[in-house]
Amino acid sequence: MALLVGATIAACRGPAAAPEPRESEPFRTTTGQPLEPLPLSEPVDAPRASLGEALFKEPLLSGDGKVACSDCHSEKHALADERAKSEAAGRPYSPVNSPTMYNVRYLFKLAWGARFDTLEAHNDALMTNPNVMASSWDGAARRLAAKGGYGERFQRVFSDGLTPMNVRAALLEYERSLVTPNAPFDRYLRGDANAISERAKLGYGLFKAYGCASCHQGMAVGGNMVQRVGIMRDYFADRGKVTPPDWGRFNVTHLEKDRFVFRVPSLRNVALTAPYFHDGTAETLESAVRAMARYQLGRELEPEDVALLADFLRTLTGEYRGKAP
Amino acid sequence: MNGGLGLRVTLGLCLAGFVALAAFILAHAIDDHEQARYARDLRRLQTLDSGLNEAVLKARSGLLTQYDPLVAALRELHRLRGALRKAPAFLPPRSADELAAALDAYDKTLTRKDELIEAFKSENSVVQTSLLYFPVIATSLIDRAHAKGDRGGFSERIRTLSAALMLFETVAEEDAKARVLRAQEELRSALDTATALELERDTLVAIAHARVIVERKPPVDGLVREVLSVPSFAAAARVEERYTALYHGALARAVAQKQLLFALALGVIVLGLTEVILFMRRSALALGRAKDELSLAHDALAVEHEKERLRGELRNRFITMTSHEFRTPLTAIVSSAELLESFGERWDAEHRLDHVQRIKKAAGTMERMLEDVLTIGRAEAGVLRPSPSPIRLDEFCRALVETLEHSTNRSHSFRYTFLGDPDVTMDERLLQHVLGNLLGNAVKYSPLGSEIRFAVRTTADLCLFSVHDQGLGIPSAEIPTLFTSFSRASNAQHLPGTGLGLAVVKRALDVQQGTITVESELGRGTAFHVSIPRRLQNVETTLTPS
Repeated sequence: MALLVGATIAACRGPAAAPEPRESEPFRTTTGQPLEPLPLSEPVDAPRASLGEALFKEPLLSGDGKVACSDCHSEKHALADERAKSEAAGRPYSPVNSPTMYNVRYLFKLAWGARFDTLEAHNDALMTNPNVMASSWDGAARRLAAKGGYGERFQRVFSDGLTPMNVRAALLEYERSLVTPNAPFDRYLRGDANAISERAKLGYGLFKAYGCASCHQGMAVGGNMVQRVGIMRDYFADRGKVTPPDWGRFNVTHLEKDRFVFRVPSLRNVALTAPYFHDGTAETLESAVRAMARYQLGRELEPEDVALLADFLRTLTGEYRGKAP
Repeated sequence: MNGGLGLRVTLGLCLAGFVALAAFILAHAIDDHEQARYARDLRRLQTLDSGLNEAVLKARSGLLTQYDPLVAALRELHRLRGALRKAPAFLPPRSADELAAALDAYDKTLTRKDELIEAFKSENSVVQTSLLYFPVIATSLIDRAHAKGDRGGFSERIRTLSAALMLFETVAEEDAKARVLRAQEELRSALDTATALELERDTLVAIAHARVIVERKPPVDGLVREVLSVPSFAAAARVEERYTALYHGALARAVAQKQLLFALALGVIVLGLTEVILFMRRSALALGRAKDELSLAHDALAVEHEKERLRGELRNRFITMTSHEFRTPLTAIVSSAELLESFGERWDAEHRLDHVQRIKKAAGTMERMLEDVLTIGRAEAGVLRPSPSPIRLDEFCRALVETLEHSTNRSHSFRYTFLGDPDVTMDERLLQHVLGNLLGNAVKYSPLGSEIRFAVRTTADLCLFSVHDQGLGIPSAEIPTLFTSFSRASNAQHLPGTGLGLAVVKRALDVQQGTITVESELGRGTAFHVSIPRRLQNVETTLTPS
């Protein structure tokens, strides 16, 4: 009888108020400026990220066991490639320059042509790309278990141990942990007037007034929109030798309006990630600034303006694990 | 029992229905958290959608100087869209399909909006740059022209273009555009002046930015209008409307199911209680019956016990009787035998005969007593049965009287009469018991010399015997126990007797289907009337132990 009553009550439980979770507030900006400071920290599963870091440097991830992610995203070079176009063992030259991995979690889309909406999709594609990893999560997991002795490390981090999806998850966790907060400019935005030099402040003024901040904006100082390269002058005509990788987003959408359209790169840690642009043609910060002013803003900058802007850009170098990346 | 079975079947069906329905309700229960989360996500969809429109307008007007909010809002919208794809579990498949159709419609609007916003972001950045930069470079040009001695012609053209652009920025109509284009041409035609003033390059930059504004601002405004006209808010509202209706439907169904569940639970409880009550009633009845049976058994036991007690009493009385009544003749036998042994040779013949007679008499008494006891015993054991044979009743009775007269030395005067047909079929031995006892009692309990009448008469079916004496009489209160073994009348205790005689009579009559009645008056005499069937059948089944 008690069971009967209990079952009846259980089946007829009245509505209960569900707790309202905290909602994110996407429309609120903290500074009212075109640029925002990066969050000082992000939640990270440290054991997973640590395992992911090992995988990032692990050639066994690739199909032939010869190429690691870190071959083109080098720790020595702020997880970018100092070569204009990356080259890895037995593979053709990468068609574009490898950008830095720092702060990828803040980018609205991934790859120069903004082909991928999520980091997951991007990684999945790179793993199977015959010119990059030429691998698969399954294959990587097999090789890690057979040759890498990773079984125990995974066991410590994942309840189900070394599985293809856990390889993927660990790598993602590491990549999401790659944030560089607390740049001098961020400290300046947060109210520390002495965090950057007077010249850098002047540079920031120019950055806004000349229209750089129209595209390099938000907390990643870029990475939140796509833009055509060569708005005011034809960049590619001047450079010459246009190849399909120069078509940018057109390669993704096949829409004429997207020809030469690229994701606006983030300028976080830009002082450390030369060479610049998708083709790696700008070898210095100053030459990149000049080129951008010429082709995107339609003007020639005075050397002093270039120097001021470069000074400003150098204040965007943040901290990774408390040090310069 | 049929009603009980029907009740149980109904109860079983109710219980099975209850369990099935309860399981169904639990499986399809409206998870309040799930419902709250889904409803909240739907509202969030609309909040974000309108927030997005507002942010686009702000970005267009320069109030919002970065797109992070747009990116974050779109990202959350896509996440919500994915989350909303998973319809709440309490919705039946058809409702989930309806919801999915509404979400499909919303998805189309979101995808469209996403594309438009992406295009808007790129285009707006370009136009904003020019809108921001044109005044800067225009002011710079005017200042430098003044410094280099321009008398107003060149700077005036710059100002005209600035004013035209300002007007165009506010009202992007055809004549405003024409005005900009005119001002642009006038400035371009003054390029010689600019060259002279060394302002040619920046003048061209200013013209380029003016062109950007003129050419690309209308498309940006068009994109804004398109973004605002995408019916994503309405589509999101329709999803919520649809969901609310489906949710209310599910609620109504849940209420109906709950009512049915309650009814079934009630049915189960009522039927269960009925079953329990009926079971208890049956138990009570069975208990009552058991109690009755027990009481009957108890009564039977008491009867048996009483019988046992009576038998015990009978035995005691028998022992008392034998120890007393048998001792008297035995003592006589023993003493006469001893006397004969001691003095027999010296005594004369007459004296010896006297003692032999005494022994014979006492032995006869004992023999009769034993005969009575055996008869009673046989009757008690159910083995006393008559063995009828044809006899001449008048001769049998006359011999009986004569034997009695002889054995009593004619102490009483017998008046014997016989009437009717003397040929009968009767058990001689049993008849001897009945009449011998009655006549012997008459002798024993009436004064010497008194008259004893013995009348025998036969009818077509019966033989009727009456024995009248003029003796003590029997107290009327003791007549009911008169025929019980060992019972003796209270006024006859001083006379020797076993108390077996009338019991033997009664039993001997019983097995012959005979009857006996008694009339008695204290001090005046007693009359026994006996009736026995004239033709006694030798039938085993007539036997009835007393």
